[in-house]
Amino acid sequence: MKARIVIAATAALLLLAARAAAQADSAGPRADTAHRAPVPDSARHARVPDAAARPAEARDGAHRWELLVGHSYSSARALLQPATLVLEQERGEPLYSVVDAAVLLRGSLQPRAWLEMGLRARAGSARPPSQRAYGAIARLFADLDPILVAAGYEYLADGHFVVGQSAATLELTPLGGAPGLGTWVSPAVRVRWRPWLGLSWGDGARPYARLAAEAAAGRVEAGLEATGWLVHGSGVGFVQGDLSVQLVGGLYLTTSGELGRAPPTFVAGGRVGVGLGFRLAAAF
Amino acid sequence: MRRKDERGHWWTDGGVERAVIRIVRHLSPGWERRKIARKTRLHADLGWDEWYVLRVAKPIRATVHVTLDDRALLNLRTVGDLAGSVWGRMAGA
Repeated sequence: MKARIVIAATAALLLLAARAAAQADSAGPRADTAHRAPVPDSARHARVPDAAARPAEARDGAHRWELLVGHSYSSARALLQPATLVLEQERGEPLYSVVDAAVLLRGSLQPRAWLEMGLRARAGSARPPSQRAYGAIARLFADLDPILVAAGYEYLADGHFVVGQSAATLELTPLGGAPGLGTWVSPAVRVRWRPWLGLSWGDGARPYARLAAEAAAGRVEAGLEATGWLVHGSGVGFVQGDLSVQLVGGLYLTTSGELGRAPPTFVAGGRVGVGLGFRLAAAF
Repeated sequence: MRRKDERGHWWTDGGVERAVIRIVRHLSPGWERRKIARKTRLHADLGWDEWYVLRVAKPIRATVHVTLDDRALLNLRTVGDLAGSVWGRMAGA
């Protein structure tokens, strides 16, 4: 019951924020004019269009909100990984499904800080309830160049909403500074990685480390994310990966897999599946 | 057309664009300098991930004297978008 209330409250917050943003958007100029060039290359010395002469505050996008749909909000990499729906069927058996999806709403607080609220699900009938997870999160980011800090609060429950975990989290990552950290290693080697260090406070302090790596070649992209937690003095790990081919727009053919023990139950499991992936980033 | 930065210095849109391109080049070691231009895509071409783009905020504050909204940075697609965003933050002449 508690889990359902938390998730329902977050969903209501998301809807209210979306509604407020839509009203603010209809009242003011569209923020994407701020990102347009004042003049095109071909006419650099021509007169700047009137739109560029509006007050800067109105064109800064400070009040814009952004809706993202992806695999999971657990990290930027997971959010960029497409949300997937996999259907499996064996002869004489019912149709099974595997769903990994997250929705995240992001908005500015200050020039160097922003807020995210999200919901996520690792679900589907092919997963036993102990390996399913439903979560809701509110997370605040602060850019303290050269590091990025994220403080959040997340509720995570298993498939039966029997095992629930509320935790405050604090994690950080360097913005860059090493070869391949946050950007391709080189134009020829399109591989990048990003480390995160974090601490979760729920039923005790639980430090964790996460490493995300990505590679891309044309319409094909691959990602791997490994997380390790220190739970009651023992190391627990979970790895998930995907290989996706962009079909059209935000639609992908995705092979995804996972192995290890994922929160909140930390029950061992693993699977590989092929399915349709969907990714969306919409600003309003 | 000229505009003032936050310290009262005057800039042209061309000057802003050149300064921004210099900053992007500095943050993209290994890339051929002349291949980084206005139309270069930060994520798709240079491979910057979601957070790496935040690294431009500090040098832009230091050289162009403009403070950009971080989340606006997260939405930028091209070097030209970045130059346009900086230009948009400057006070009109």
